[in-house]
Amino acid sequence: MGKYIIKRTISGFITVILVFAMNFFLFKMAPGDPITTLMGTKATSKAMRHALEVKYGLDKPLIVQFISYLRTAAHGDLGISIIYNRPVADMIGEKVGATLLLCLTAAIIALVIGTAMGIHAARKEGGVYDVIASGTTYAFNSVPSFWLGLMLIIIFSSGLKWLPSYGMVDNRADYTGMAYVMDIIMHMILPTLTLTLILIPQYFRIAKSSVLQVTNEDFIMTFKAVGMNNKTIFNRYIFRNAILPTVTIFGISVAYLITGVTLIEIVFAWPGMGRLMMTAITQRDYPTLMGSYLIMAISVAVAMLLVDIVYALLDPRIRYE
Amino acid sequence: MKELKKKIISVCKVIASDHQLLAGVIGLLFIFFIIIFAPLLVTDNPYHYGDDILFRVGQGGHILGTNHMGQDIYSMLIYGMRTSFKVAVISALISGILGVVIGGIAGFFGGKVDIIVSEIINVFMMLPTFFLILLIVALFGNSIYNVMVVIGITTWPSNAKLMRAEALTLKQRTFVKSAEAMGESKSQRLNKYIIPNGIFPVVSNTTMGMSNAILTEAGLSFLGLGDATIISWGQMIYTGKQYITTAWWISTYAGFAIIITVIIFYLLGDGLNHVLDPKYSKQGR
Repeated sequence: MGKYIIKRTISGFITVILVFAMNFFLFKMAPGDPITTLMGTKATSKAMRHALEVKYGLDKPLIVQFISYLRTAAHGDLGISIIYNRPVADMIGEKVGATLLLCLTAAIIALVIGTAMGIHAARKEGGVYDVIASGTTYAFNSVPSFWLGLMLIIIFSSGLKWLPSYGMVDNRADYTGMAYVMDIIMHMILPTLTLTLILIPQYFRIAKSSVLQVTNEDFIMTFKAVGMNNKTIFNRYIFRNAILPTVTIFGISVAYLITGVTLIEIVFAWPGMGRLMMTAITQRDYPTLMGSYLIMAISVAVAMLLVDIVYALLDPRIRYE
Repeated sequence: MKELKKKIISVCKVIASDHQLLAGVIGLLFIFFIIIFAPLLVTDNPYHYGDDILFRVGQGGHILGTNHMGQDIYSMLIYGMRTSFKVAVISALISGILGVVIGGIAGFFGGKVDIIVSEIINVFMMLPTFFLILLIVALFGNSIYNVMVVIGITTWPSNAKLMRAEALTLKQRTFVKSAEAMGESKSQRLNKYIIPNGIFPVVSNTTMGMSNAILTEAGLSFLGLGDATIISWGQMIYTGKQYITTAWWISTYAGFAIIITVIIFYLLGDGLNHVLDPKYSKQGR
C-alpha cells in the first residue's frame, strides 16, 4: 500500500513538473516576442533591445529561465496581469470560489440523481423505464453544454421570465442577509441545471453497469439459491459493491469539472475561473492565461491522486498488480 | 466475384446483428449523403450575405430563417456537416495513428521503453485536455487545420493505453511466438501480427473520439476561437448567442445538428465495440 501511494505521488509530481514545462515552453514558442512589444515595432536600437533582455533575464539560457520560473511559481507568484496590472494569483483567488460553488453543487446533485436512476434501471433491466432512461441519457451525453445552457435561457429566462440568466447577483439591487443568499440561489439555478443535466449520463451509466455486473456474480447467485430475500441481497451486497466505481468517477469528474465548467460560465456570465480565462484569451493577457492553466492542471492532478489513493484504500483489489 | 458477394453479405449480417451498429451505419450513410450532395441540397449559397436579415423560420423562402448577415440557416447547416466531418475524421486519424504506434511499441518492446511510455501516457491522461487545446489554439492561431491537429495530438493517450494492453497480451500468444521462432524480425512481428490483431479496441475508441472532436471544435468555436472563414455549427451557436432573445433559430438548429451527428458516431463506436469485442457478446448484453 505504501509503495502504491509513493508510486502514484511520484507520477503526480512528474505531471505537475510537466505542466510547468509545457506552460513555459508553449509561452516561449508562441508567436510574438515580449521585447518587441515593449519597444514597439518601429524601434530598432540593438543596445536598447539588449538592455531590456538583460533587465528581464531573457539573455540567459532557456533552462536557467525555466528554473527561475519554477522558483517564483513555488512561492505562489504567478506573475502580473498585463491588462489589470495585478498579481495573477490574487485574481484567481477571487474567482475560484464561484467556480467551486457551481461545480460541487452540480456534481453532488448529478451524483445522487444519476446513481439513483442507474440503479433503478439496472434492477428492471429491459423494462420501459430502463429503455426510456437509457435513451434519454444517451442523447444528453451528446449535447454540447453551452448549447443546452442557451436553450434553458430561451425557455426559462426570455420565454417564461422566471429566472435570471446573467451573473451571480443582481447588480441593481443591494441585497443583504437572507435576500442576498436567495438572489445567488436564483442565479445559480440555470447554470447548475445545465451542468447537472450534462453530468447525469455518466453516473447513470456507471451505476447501471456496475449493478448489473455485481448482480451476475457467482456469490449473488449463491445467495439467491440459498433463498435469501432479494431486498437483503440488494441492500447488503449489491449496493455496496456497485457504489465503488461511482466514488472514483465522482472524484475524477469534480477534477475535470473545474475545467469543463468554463463554457457554461461563459454562457451565464458566471464570475468564475473560466470567465477569467476567457477574458484573458480575448485580451491576450498571457500571464493570467498561463497562471489559470497552471492552477487548473495542478488541481486536477492532485484531485486524481487523492481519488486513486482513496480508491485503493476502499478496494483492496486495486492496490497493485 | 462470388467471394466478394459472400463477404459483403457476411458484413451486412454482422451489422444487422447489433442494433446500435445498424443505427450508426444508417446514420453514417445519411452523413455521407449530405456531404456529397450538399451543393444540390441547399436552397441558397451559405456564404452569400443577403438582404434578408434575421428572417424568421419560413419567412421569405428561408426554411429555417436567416442570421444577422442574411445567410440562410438551412444551407449553413448542410455545409457545416462538411466541416464537422472533416474535423472528426482528421483529428481522429491523427490520434489513432499516434496511439497505435506509441502504444504498440510500448506494449511490444516492454521493459524500460514500456515504463517510460506508460508514465508519459499516465501524465498526459491527467492533463485537462480541453484547456490545453484552448491554450494552444489561442497562442498559435485558430485556423481549422490547427484545431484538427491540436485535437489529434492531445487525445492519443487513451488510444495508446488500449493498444499497449493489446500488444502486451498478443505478444505472448502462440502465433506470435511461432513467428519469432521462424526468425521474423521485431518490426515484422509488430506490423504483421500485433497491430492488425490489436487494433480493434482502438477503432471503436477512435470512433467515439470523433464525437468528442466534434464537440471540442464546437466548444472552441463557441468561445470565438474557431476558424471564422468557414461555416461551422459551433460558430453558428456563437453568433446566435447575441440574438438569443430575438432570433432563437440561429443557435437552436445548429445545436440539434451537433447532437444528431455526435449520437451517430457514439452509436457507431458502441456498435463496433460490441461486434469486435468477443467478451461483450458472451455476457449476452
